[in-house]
Amino acid sequence: MSRAAPLLPREDAREAALFFVVCALCFLAAFSGLIARAAYAAADAWTSEVAGEITIRVRGPEADTQRAVEIIAKTEGIASAHALTREESEELLKPWLGAGGVPAGLNLPRLIAAEGAAGAGDSVAAALKEANINATVDDHETWSADARRVTGTIGLVALSAVALLGATGIAVIAFATHATMLARRDIVELLHLSGARDDFIAGLFERRFLMLGVQAGALGALLAFGTAAFILFAVRQTDEQAWLLPQLSLSLADGLILGLSPLIAGAASMFAANLTVKRSLSDMV
Amino acid sequence: MPDNDLSTDEPVLRLDRVGLSYGPKSDVLADVSLSLRPGSMTFLTGPSGSGKSTLLRLAYLALRPTAGRVSLFGVETNRLRRRDLAPLRRRVGVVFQEFRLLDHLSAYDNVALPLRITGRPEASYRQDVIDLLGWVGLGDRLEARPATLSGGEKQRVAIARAVVGKPDLLIADEPTGNVDEEMGERLYRLFRELNRRLKTTVLIATHDMALVRRAKNDVLRLAEGMVVRVPLDQREGQP
Ligand SMILES: Nc1ncnc2c1ncn2[C@@H]1O[C@H](COP(=O)(O)OP(=O)(O)O)[C@@H](O)[C@H]1O
Ligand SMILES: [Mg+2]
Repeated sequence: MSRAAPLLPREDAREAALFFVVCALCFLAAFSGLIARAAYAAADAWTSEVAGEITIRVRGPEADTQRAVEIIAKTEGIASAHALTREESEELLKPWLGAGGVPAGLNLPRLIAAEGAAGAGDSVAAALKEANINATVDDHETWSADARRVTGTIGLVALSAVALLGATGIAVIAFATHATMLARRDIVELLHLSGARDDFIAGLFERRFLMLGVQAGALGALLAFGTAAFILFAVRQTDEQAWLLPQLSLSLADGLILGLSPLIAGAASMFAANLTVKRSLSDMV
Repeated sequence: MPDNDLSTDEPVLRLDRVGLSYGPKSDVLADVSLSLRPGSMTFLTGPSGSGKSTLLRLAYLALRPTAGRVSLFGVETNRLRRRDLAPLRRRVGVVFQEFRLLDHLSAYDNVALPLRITGRPEASYRQDVIDLLGWVGLGDRLEARPATLSGGEKQRVAIARAVVGKPDLLIADEPTGNVDEEMGERLYRLFRELNRRLKTTVLIATHDMALVRRAKNDVLRLAEGMVVRVPLDQREGQP
């Protein structure tokens, strides 16, 4: 004796197609979520790396450089300061001039690297000016702000993509539920005429689409992580300085995206099913 | 029309000057009044297209009338909210003209469906369903899918489903329309037995005049949007 055979029949190709679409949407949404997360994390990492680092370029005679180091070291909020050697300066220039190095005769700017509290740059500039040393002070504020703006924009675009994909997913599921409803109108009508309450009938579809959403969402999110992990792995292999991807390591936030995707997909499916079924039922007496 | 309801009981079904049209064209039902006594068994006759199925749809609350009032078990349904109709529907068993069995469910599951939607646990009704299928002569087809059943067998599954919840009103739309004369007689006896044993009020739409003549039940005739009581046998006859 078959116990509690499902009132809705196991579905056919139509449901497989829906599963694929929801899965693909969840993949894209989770991937966008990962990019957004990576962008914000990258902004944090870069700006915290340079926060408190101050670079001073001295334009006056050689002697001024030594004097400047002493003045800077004594300035409030500065932990350490030292003049960069020619080797250190060359190291800095390497990415631009290549491994061939700096031509021997080239006059390199004299640079002082200092570390200290954020905002100490202004005190250093004031102290140097008082000592009559011609120097420019760069505390990377402008650069940090630029970096934050760029990564913020990427993150915002990715978040918008997540929202758009989410809305699309809900719409697709609503259409699909409606199609299933129409294909199964005989069941809905029979249950309705037998005295089943709207909630009971809606519940059948809700459970069906909740399961579909959760499963498709989980698969989509896992695929997104697989893809991200693969990209990360490939980039590490080539040993290049990748500017965004190094931040793409598994963290708590990523786990949250992985865990939430199926839940959101499931809840969206359920919600769409409820809405569609209830609306169709309200057309019946 | 004169209401010849002799019992003091509330009519099970009462239509009061009911009109119904599906569109802006002429009315399918113009001015229909009727009432069914508790425990009565009534045939609704009339030519094809006269509106028998439409009248039944009003009775099992699949349609609302465009004019007049429909009362079930003494409750006037016009004023009820949607959600208050569900409990009334559970007291009405319907044998649809086109069976409306669910293809993916076994005979057993089809019959159990009205009980299932009440939320009762299966254990509490399982034996009833099996007994009922035995009673309609399908005790050995519990697991059969509708697609593998003959017309008469499907009709009997549909009847079992209609009565499994022990309805107060049983409505059947052309239940003998798709079966031969012998099966028609057998189905009729099922209805009569239900009517006698369980005191279920029965309303059967049919254009099978041979059956109507043989049986000695109340007969309502639907023509030109109106119902008239056929004064053949006013009271239920004893065979
Ligand atoms: N859903 C519907 N929409 C429009 N017209 C309908 C509908 N159902 C029935 N009709 C029309 O109403 C009339 C009565 O139909 P019906 O109640 O099925 O009669 P019967 O059951 O006596 O054959 C017919 O003319 C039919 O074409
Ligand atoms: Mg009909």
